[in-house]
Amino acid sequence: MAYGNLSDTRSKEIFSRRAILIGSAQVAGFGLLAGRLYQLQVLQGQYYAPLAENNRISIQLLPPVRGRILDRNGVVLARNEEQFAVSIIPALTADLSETLKRISEIVPLSKQTQQQLLAKAKKHGTNRALVAGDNLSFQQIAAINVLAPQLPGVETQTTYRRRYPGGKSMAHVIGYTGDVSSRALDDDPVLRLPGIKVGKIGVELGFEDRLRGRAGRRKFEVDARGRIIRDLEMRDAQAGDDLRLTIESDLQDRVMSRLTGERCSALVVLDVNDGSILSLGSAPTYEADRLTGRLSKQEWKELSDGKDHPMFNRATRGLYPPGSTFKMVTALAALEAGVLDSKEKIRCSGRYSLADQSYNCWKRHGHGAVDLNRALRESCDTLFYEVANRTGISKIASMAYRLGLGQTYECGLLLQKKGVVPTPDWKRWRLNASWLDGETILAGIGQGYVSATPLQLAVMTARLATGREVVPCLTQEKKKQRTRFKKLKINPKHLSAVRAGMLASVYEPGGTGKSVQIAGANFSIAGKTGTSQVRANSTKRKAGQLEWEMRDHALFVCFFPVNRPRYAIACVVEHGGSGGKTAAPLVREVIKDVVDYDRKASALKRSRKKSKAKVEG
Amino acid sequence: MADFLFTDGRSRTLTEKFARLNWTLLLAIATLVAIGTVSLYSTADGSFHPWAEAHALRFIICAGLAITIALISPQVWMSLAAPIYIIALIALALVPWFGAEAMGAKRWIGVAGLKFQPSEIMKIGLLLALACLYQKIPADKISRPRTVALALLIIAVPVVLTLRQPDLGSAVLFAVVGLAVLFAAGVSIWYFLAGGGGVLALGPLIWSNMHAYQRQRVETFLNPEADPLGAGYHIIQSKIAFGAGGLGGRGFMRGTQSQLDFLPEKHTDFIFTMIGEEWGFMGCGLILMVFALILINLLWIGLRAKSSYARLISFGTGMVIFTYMFINMAMVTGLVPVVGVPLPFVSYGGSSMVTLMVCVGLVMSAHIHDNVRLDRSGARAVW
Repeated sequence: MAYGNLSDTRSKEIFSRRAILIGSAQVAGFGLLAGRLYQLQVLQGQYYAPLAENNRISIQLLPPVRGRILDRNGVVLARNEEQFAVSIIPALTADLSETLKRISEIVPLSKQTQQQLLAKAKKHGTNRALVAGDNLSFQQIAAINVLAPQLPGVETQTTYRRRYPGGKSMAHVIGYTGDVSSRALDDDPVLRLPGIKVGKIGVELGFEDRLRGRAGRRKFEVDARGRIIRDLEMRDAQAGDDLRLTIESDLQDRVMSRLTGERCSALVVLDVNDGSILSLGSAPTYEADRLTGRLSKQEWKELSDGKDHPMFNRATRGLYPPGSTFKMVTALAALEAGVLDSKEKIRCSGRYSLADQSYNCWKRHGHGAVDLNRALRESCDTLFYEVANRTGISKIASMAYRLGLGQTYECGLLLQKKGVVPTPDWKRWRLNASWLDGETILAGIGQGYVSATPLQLAVMTARLATGREVVPCLTQEKKKQRTRFKKLKINPKHLSAVRAGMLASVYEPGGTGKSVQIAGANFSIAGKTGTSQVRANSTKRKAGQLEWEMRDHALFVCFFPVNRPRYAIACVVEHGGSGGKTAAPLVREVIKDVVDYDRKASALKRSRKKSKAKVEG
Repeated sequence: MADFLFTDGRSRTLTEKFARLNWTLLLAIATLVAIGTVSLYSTADGSFHPWAEAHALRFIICAGLAITIALISPQVWMSLAAPIYIIALIALALVPWFGAEAMGAKRWIGVAGLKFQPSEIMKIGLLLALACLYQKIPADKISRPRTVALALLIIAVPVVLTLRQPDLGSAVLFAVVGLAVLFAAGVSIWYFLAGGGGVLALGPLIWSNMHAYQRQRVETFLNPEADPLGAGYHIIQSKIAFGAGGLGGRGFMRGTQSQLDFLPEKHTDFIFTMIGEEWGFMGCGLILMVFALILINLLWIGLRAKSSYARLISFGTGMVIFTYMFINMAMVTGLVPVVGVPLPFVSYGGSSMVTLMVCVGLVMSAHIHDNVRLDRSGARAVW
C-alpha cells in the first residue's frame, strides 16, 4: 500500500501542476474570446450596426408608365400595351419542378423549356426570379392568380409593351424604344430596372425626359431569403407626360402613301406662322412595332442595313445638294448686297466663262437676255453664275444661314444633320485647301459643297414666305409658348421680287414648276424646282438611260397661299430625274391633302368657336 | 456492494451522497440552459415551440440522468469503460454503411427508431477509457513507450473514424481532449514536444489530404469577405450581428439579424451570435463567466480528488466543455473556421446535452464516492 500511496501522491502532484497549467491556457482562451467580443461589439459596433440595418431593409423601384404620344388632334401614336408575365422565385418554392408542372397546366411549357428553367435556376442561384412565361392572356393570368396561394414563389407581373398604332407612316417621327444601352445610363435609377425601355430614336428619344416619368419607391423589411416581412414606406411611380405633337396623322398617312410611290424620298409640311411640323415623311419606312418585340439579328440587319436603309430618316438626316432651290438664297444675297437690280438683264448664251473654266446653263442654247424674275421662273443658271460671282461666297453663305440652312433646330427631333453652307474657312478646316472662285459659281446654283436636309429646305421656304425667322417645332406645347417669330430684316422689296419669281415659276409660260398647278384652286402657289446633279454625266443624261444611282435628285419647294402664306413644303425624290417632272407633281397631290386638312381644321375651329360662344351666351 | 473497499470503512448513505452532489456545478449548468431556453424562445419568434420547451425538458431529464449516474459507484463505471469504448468504436466504424446522411456527412445511426451519433458515445467512452487506463497504471510506468502508444491508439482510432465521416468538430475534440488528458495524467513532456515538432513538419501533408469542403472552410476563414455570398456569408452575417448588438444588445426578440434569418443554424451552432445581438457584450460576458465558474468547479474537483480516475474524468469533462465552448465562440466570432460544434448547454440539440450531462454525472460520481478505494492492481485484468 505504501507504494500505491507514494505513486498516488506523485501523480497528484504532477496532475495539479499540469491541470493548473492547462487551466491558465484556458484563461488565455477566455481572454481571447472576451477580447474578440469587445472588439466586435464595443469597438467596431458602430461599423456593424448600419450593416445590419442595410441587411434588413430592401428598396424596390417601381417602374413608371411611359407617357403616350398623340398627334395634334389627340390620335394616339404610341401607347403602352399591358402584358402579363408569370415568374418564379425558386428559393420560395417547395419543389421547383413540381411548381413548373402545375404552371404548365395553365401556360403551356414544353418539357424542354422546363428543363431550361431548371438549369437556369441552378446556374443563377435560387433567389433570382425566373420568367416562366410572358405575353399571357388575361384568362391565364387570372387562373394563375387563383392558384398562387398554393404555389409559393409564383408571382404574376404586369409589364408594358410599347405599341405604335400609327404604323409605318409614323415610324420616322415617333421612333421606337428599346433596352437601355450601357452608354445611355445616367443617374436616373429607373434605368437600372430590369426590362425598362428607353427611346432610341425619333420623338421617343428626343422627349425621353418627359415621357419617362419617375420611379416609385417601395421600402420594406426583408428576411435573409428576401421575403417581404412588412412595408415601411411607399411612394408611387409618377407616369411620364403624354406628349401632343403638331403632326396631323391623317395628313401624315396621305403624305407617306404618296412618298412610297417613289423609291427613296422625303417631304416636310410646315405651318409657316407657328413653325409647327404638320407632316414629316421619309420613304422607305419600317414598322416600329417590330422593334419593340423580339427581333432576330437577321431581321435587325435587314432593317438597319437593308436595301435603301429603311430606318434612315431622310427628312432630317438626308443631305442633298439643294440645286436650283438654292437660287433664292443667291438672289437675296445679291439684292441685299446691292450687286443686282431686280430689273437688270443678263445675257445667257448657254455657257458662262470665268477664268479658264466654263460653266453650262441647263439649256444648252441659252435663255437670251434674262432678268431675275425670268431666271427664277425658267431656272436659268447663267444669271446666278454671274450673280454669285458678283456677290462672293461669304455673303451667299451668311444669307443661307439667315434662311435656316447649315444648322439644326431644337424641336425634339434629335440627330438632325447640319448640312454644309461652304465658306473659305469651312473648306480650310474641312479639306485643308483654299477656296477657288469656281466653287462660288457652283455654290450659286446650290451645287458643289452645298448640302441641306428636306427639313432645312422647308424652313428656308417658310422664311422666304414670311420674312421671319421661322423655327420648326414638333410639340403643341412649344407652339403655344411661342410668340411671333422675329423679322429677318431683309428688304421687303427684295423678298417680294424673289417671291414673284417663284410665283412665275408655277404659273407663267416657261415656268419649270408648272406641274404643281392645281386647276380650279382659289389660291396660288409659289414654288421652285431643283434638279441637283449627283455627278458629272452630261453625255448620258439626255439619253435617259442612266442607272438609278446616277440620276439627278428631284427637288421642289413651295409655299401657299401666296397672298397670305400659311404652309411651306419641301420635297426631295432621290434620283427622281428632274424637279419639275417628278417632285412637283408629287407636291401637287400633297398640297391637295393639306388643303383638305386645312378645310377640316378651320371647320372644327369654327364649330368650337360657335359652341364656345353658345356657352358664353 | 460487498466487494467495494471504503477508505473510512463504511459506505455513505443516500442522503449523504445527495448532500455531496456538486450543486454549484449543476446550478451553473442550469443557468446556461435557462439562457439557452430564453434564446430559443426568441429564435422561434416568441414561442416555446419547437425548441425552447424541448430544450428545458431535455435538461430536466438529463439532470436526472446525471444524478442517477452520480449515485452509482465509479467502480461500476470503470468496469463499463472498456465495453462502452468498444461499442462506440464499432458503431463509429459502421457509420459509413448504416449511417443516415445529413449535410453531406454521415454521422447518425438509427437503432430501433432512435437516431444517435456514435461520436457522442465515443466522447464518454474515450474519457472513461483514458481515466481507467491511468487509474490502473502505476505512476512510474506512465511514460513507458508501450503505455503511451496504447493511449495514443485509444485516441487515434476514433479521430481517424470521425474524420472519415467527415466530422471535423468531433475529431478535433477527441484529439484535443485526449492529448490534454494524457498531459494531465503525467506523460513525459518530451513526448509532447516531439509530437508538436512532428505536426509542424506534417502540416502540409494533412492539408493535401483534407476534403475540398474542409479546405474551403479554412480558406474562407482566412478571408471571408472574398466570397460574401458563398461560404463566407455566415461569418460576415454573424460578425454583423455581434457588432449590431454592441455593448448592451438590441433587446430581447429585437435582433433583426437573427429574427430575419440572416443567421444560419441560429438555434444550434449560431445561438451565441443571436445572444450577442440581442444581449450585447454584457450578455456574452455573463455567459463567459458562467462557463468559467463551471470550469473552475471541475478543476477544483480534480485538484481535490484522491484517485487518478477522479482527477482525469473531471479534468477531461472540463476539457470537453472548454473545447466545445471555445471552438463554438471562436467560430461565430470569426476567429477560427466554421466547424459544426454546438455551444454546450445553450445550443439546442439532444445528443450533446446527453453526452455532457453523462460526463458531469461521472464527475459527480467520482466526487461523491471519494471514499471508495479504486483498485490499481486490477489493470492487467481489464486491459
